[in-house]
Amino acid sequence: MNTPVTIVMIEDDDGHARLIERNIRRSGINNEIVPFTNGTDALNYLLGRDSKGAERKGEALLILLDLNLPDMTGLDILRRVKESRNLKCVPVVVLTTTDDSQEIKRCYELGANVYITKPVNYDNFANAIRQLGLFFSVIQVPESAS
Amino acid sequence: MGQILLLAAGFLVLVAISASSVLLVNKSRRDNAWVVHTIEVENQTNSLLLEIRRAESAARGYLVTRGPEFLSDHEDAVSAITPHLDKLADLTSDNPFQVENLRKLRAAIETRLHQFELEISFLKQGDAADAADLVREAAAGTTSATIRDLGDAMRSEENDLFALRRANADRSQRLASAVTIAGSSLVIVLAGISIILVRRSAQARDHAEARLRDNNLNLEATVEERTADVRAANDELQRFAYIVSHDLRSPLVNIVGFTSELEELRGQIFKRIGVLAPPVPTNAPTIAPDAEPELASEDQRLSQDFSEALGFIKSSSDKMDRLISAILNLTREGRRRFEPEPLDMRELIESLVSSLAHQASEAEAEIHITPLPQIVSDHLAIEQIFSNLIDNAIKYLRPGIPGEIFVRGRTKLGFAVFDISDNGRGIDPKDHQRIFDLFRRAGIQDRPGQGIGLAHVRALVRRLGGTMSVASELNAGSTFTITLPIKWNVSNWTED
Repeated sequence: MNTPVTIVMIEDDDGHARLIERNIRRSGINNEIVPFTNGTDALNYLLGRDSKGAERKGEALLILLDLNLPDMTGLDILRRVKESRNLKCVPVVVLTTTDDSQEIKRCYELGANVYITKPVNYDNFANAIRQLGLFFSVIQVPESAS
Repeated sequence: MGQILLLAAGFLVLVAISASSVLLVNKSRRDNAWVVHTIEVENQTNSLLLEIRRAESAARGYLVTRGPEFLSDHEDAVSAITPHLDKLADLTSDNPFQVENLRKLRAAIETRLHQFELEISFLKQGDAADAADLVREAAAGTTSATIRDLGDAMRSEENDLFALRRANADRSQRLASAVTIAGSSLVIVLAGISIILVRRSAQARDHAEARLRDNNLNLEATVEERTADVRAANDELQRFAYIVSHDLRSPLVNIVGFTSELEELRGQIFKRIGVLAPPVPTNAPTIAPDAEPELASEDQRLSQDFSEALGFIKSSSDKMDRLISAILNLTREGRRRFEPEPLDMRELIESLVSSLAHQASEAEAEIHITPLPQIVSDHLAIEQIFSNLIDNAIKYLRPGIPGEIFVRGRTKLGFAVFDISDNGRGIDPKDHQRIFDLFRRAGIQDRPGQGIGLAHVRALVRRLGGTMSVASELNAGSTFTITLPIKWNVSNWTED
C-alpha cells in the first residue's frame, strides 16, 4: 500500500521554490507539495505543538531543505528532524547553492539522505528528484505500531 | 667623556704630586745637609778652640812642672791646630762673612802659635823667667781674647745659620707633607667623583635596559596585536568574499533557471505562432507535429532576436557562474589548512612537468630544471603555484618560436628563491601589477582563461610566508620569482 508522499519544501527564495516545483512537476511527480519560506513555520509544521513531531508520525514525507534561511540555517532544521523519534526516518534532500565539501560532510553527518547543489542546469536536478520520488514511492513507509 | 676627563685629571694630579714630592724631598735633603754642615762648622770651630786651649794649658803645665809629657801634649795640640784651621777654612769657604772671620782668626792663631814657639824655646834654654813673662804677657794680651771673640763670632754666625737652615728645612718638609696630603685628598676626591659617576652611569644603564626590555615586550605585544588584527581582517575578507559569492549565486540560479523556462516558452510560443500564422503554401502538409513550423519571415526574425537575447543571457550567466565559482574556490583555498612537510622540489617539479608534457610538446617548448633547494612547505600549495606558473609559461609563448622554459632555484638568508623564466611573449611593465589582480589579464586575449591563476598563486605564496614578483618586457620573455621560507612555520598563519 503506497501512501502518497507529501513533499515539504523549505525554501526562502520564491524563484527557487517555483523552479523546484516546476521541475518536480515536469519530471512527472504530482505529489502534494507543502511550501515554507522560513525555518520557524516549517519546524512548527513538522514538529507540531509538542515539538516532537507526534502529529506527523506515520505520514509519508519528503523534505526538500535549503540551507540558507532567513531565521535559521537549514542545518538546525536537519538536526531537529533527525533528533525527533517520529521524524528521523523522513528522507531529507538538502538543496543549496554551495558545493563546499565541509558543508556537505556536515549535512551527511547530521543524517541528510541526499545533498544536491542547486544547479544552473536543472536537468540533473529533475533527475535526482525523480529518482528519489520513485525510490520513495516504492519503499513502504513502515507503519508505526501505534 | 666626563669619565675620561676625570681620569686625565686624576693622572695629572698624581704626576704633579709625584714631581713636587721628589722636588720637595730633594730640597729638604739639601736643607738638612746645610743644617748638618752648620753643625759641622760649629764642631770644627769648637775643636779648634779646644786645641788652642789644650796647647795653652800644656805649655803652662810644662812651665810649672817641666814634665816632658806636657811638652809632648803641647806639641800634639799645636800640630793639630793648623789642620783644624784648614779644615774649617774648607768648610766655611762658601760664606764670605766666615771667610773674613777666619782670616782674622788665622792671623790671631799664627801670632799665638808664634808666642807658643817662643815660650817653649825659652823653656828649653832654661830661661823660665822669660817664658813665664811671655805667658803672662800672652794671657794679658789681646791675642787670646781676639781668638775667643772670633771663635764666638763664628759660632754665633753658625748658630744664626743653624736656626735659619733649620727653619728652611722645616718649611720644605712641611711643604712636602702639605703637598702630599693635598694631592692625596685631591686623588681621593677624584676617585669619589669617579665612583659616583660610575654608579650613576650604571644606574642609567640599568634604567635604559629596563626600558628597552619594556619596549621589547610592548613591541611584541603590539606586533601580536597587529598580527591578530591583520588575521582578523583577512578572515573577515575571506568570509565576506565567501558570503558575497554565495549570496550572488542565489539570484543567479533564478536567472539561469528562468532563462531555461523562457527558452521552453519561446519554443511553445513560436510553435503556436507557426500554427496560427497563414500556412506557407509550398510544404504546409509535411509539417511534423514536433518540429517547429515554418515561420513567416517577420516571425522568423523575431524568433532569431529572441534566441540571440536568450543566448546572451545564458552566456553571461554562465560566465558569472564561473567567476563566482572561482571566488568561492579561492576563499575555500584560503581556508584550507596547510600541512608543511619536507619537499624534494626537483622531484615535485619534474612530476608537474611530466603532467604538462603534452601541452609542452604541442607548444614546442622545452622545460629545463636546474638543481633546486629543498624546502618545508605545503605540498599541494607548492604544486599549485608551480603548475600555474609553468602552465602560463607554456601558454604564453611566442608563436613560431620554440619555447625555452627554465626553473631555477637558490637559497638566500633562510629563504629559497625560485625563478621560472621563459622566452615567450612577455608582459608590458605597465601590466605587471594588473596580472596579479583577480579576473584581470594582459596582452592579446587569444588564450582561454579567467584571470585567476596568478591571483591564486600570489595568494598562496603569501599564505606560505613568501613573496613573488615578475620581471618582464614585451616580446622578451618573463621571469617570475618566488621567495619562500626554507622552513615554513605553520603556526604563523594557521587559523582555527
